[in-house]
Amino acid sequence: MTSAPDRLYRQVTAAIVLLVLLAGCGPSTVVVKGSFPPPLLDPLPLRLGVWYDEAFAGHEFFDEAKSRRESDWLVRTGEAQVQMWDTLLGGMFEELVHMKARPGPGQMTQLVDAVLVPHVDELQYAIPTHTNVKVYEIWMRYRFELLTTGGDTIADWTMTAYGKTPTAFLQSDEAAVNLAAVVALRDAGANFATNFTRVPEVREWLERRSTSGKEAEP
Amino acid sequence: MKPGVLGTALLAAACTVLTGCVTATVDEMVFNEPTEGIGDSTVVILGRRHASDYETEPDFIQCVGKRIASRDRSIEVIGELDFINALYPWFEPRTAPLRPQDIDRLLLHEPVAQKMAALRTEYMIWIDGSTVRTDSAGSMTCGIGPGGAGCFGFGTWNNDSNYEATIWDFTDRAEVGRINTTASGQSYMPAVVVPIPIIAPVQGTACDSIGDQLLEFLSSEF
Repeated sequence: MTSAPDRLYRQVTAAIVLLVLLAGCGPSTVVVKGSFPPPLLDPLPLRLGVWYDEAFAGHEFFDEAKSRRESDWLVRTGEAQVQMWDTLLGGMFEELVHMKARPGPGQMTQLVDAVLVPHVDELQYAIPTHTNVKVYEIWMRYRFELLTTGGDTIADWTMTAYGKTPTAFLQSDEAAVNLAAVVALRDAGANFATNFTRVPEVREWLERRSTSGKEAEP
Repeated sequence: MKPGVLGTALLAAACTVLTGCVTATVDEMVFNEPTEGIGDSTVVILGRRHASDYETEPDFIQCVGKRIASRDRSIEVIGELDFINALYPWFEPRTAPLRPQDIDRLLLHEPVAQKMAALRTEYMIWIDGSTVRTDSAGSMTCGIGPGGAGCFGFGTWNNDSNYEATIWDFTDRAEVGRINTTASGQSYMPAVVVPIPIIAPVQGTACDSIGDQLLEFLSSEF
């Protein structure tokens, strides 16, 4: 015969064991975390607005396991995306304004020169069990819209970013995927910072602004 | 001697004895060696990360920097991450200069030129390479039971390191030297109840070799 405290103790132990076993069945989850340095650039003389939509600010990627030996993967990049792009754009432009809504016809918005709307179109990852190469990789394709405050498109272009990290002793798959994602985000920042003014539509728009600015001078 | 001290001494002696053998080779090609060392200037050691199938390990770069700084305390080595963060986004794999002449293009950006002047960087050393496991053999079985746990078997593997350091003179915008090091060694792991790893410090030997050779280049004391 067992006493009530004994029964309670066994039930709690059984529940903990069950929870531990069930935890092993869940997907491998990575909430990407990292630190991103400000860019070392002469800021462009623009008051830029930025609008992160819900899909971007809460971006996550889910990949279902293809065999019993693999596990599902959930990679949440949204928080790190916003952190990185805020730091980058804050250093690239004279002033950065967070928009309260996506600009559109008749929409009341803050007064800015243009609004950047970033999107993550695609994310792919590879871990050593997929490729037999001892490297963890993350690849992302971004799409950017540069809009007027009225919602008209100034430019619309895509850009890729890639990050990888080698296998390391005592490094978990999750830690390595996080590191590869941070490298990919840094690469995205580097690609954007060095190529923004080379996007043909952006270059033309900047030239038009510069010309109209000079004409307006007395 | 107290038993605790004796035990620690024996363990340390066993660890020293139980390391595999490593063979290392260093080749050096120097075009313009500084005669008085690098003086008040600083040096930065960076890893090349362009290849698709390997990466120069950040801990190897750190090891070479520590080796240089510990043997000649007058040399200031800037940490790799500190340097690439301070100059972001100009030293990322996508944007890093591939030839000394590319530095001119970089210095056209006023903030970059100012930062480089503040860092007093005279030499930039690029290290490219990696350590890989080339061969492994043997098998080991481990079990756990009510009476305890244990392993039985034997494993062996080979590690090969191959690194090349390219030295750039920042002032003259020129490559002034190149050092190549290769190291290889076999590690063993016999297990009778307890596995005993006998590890060949291949990467560590490559780090020491390349660090010592770089000291001959950078230091006036070597």
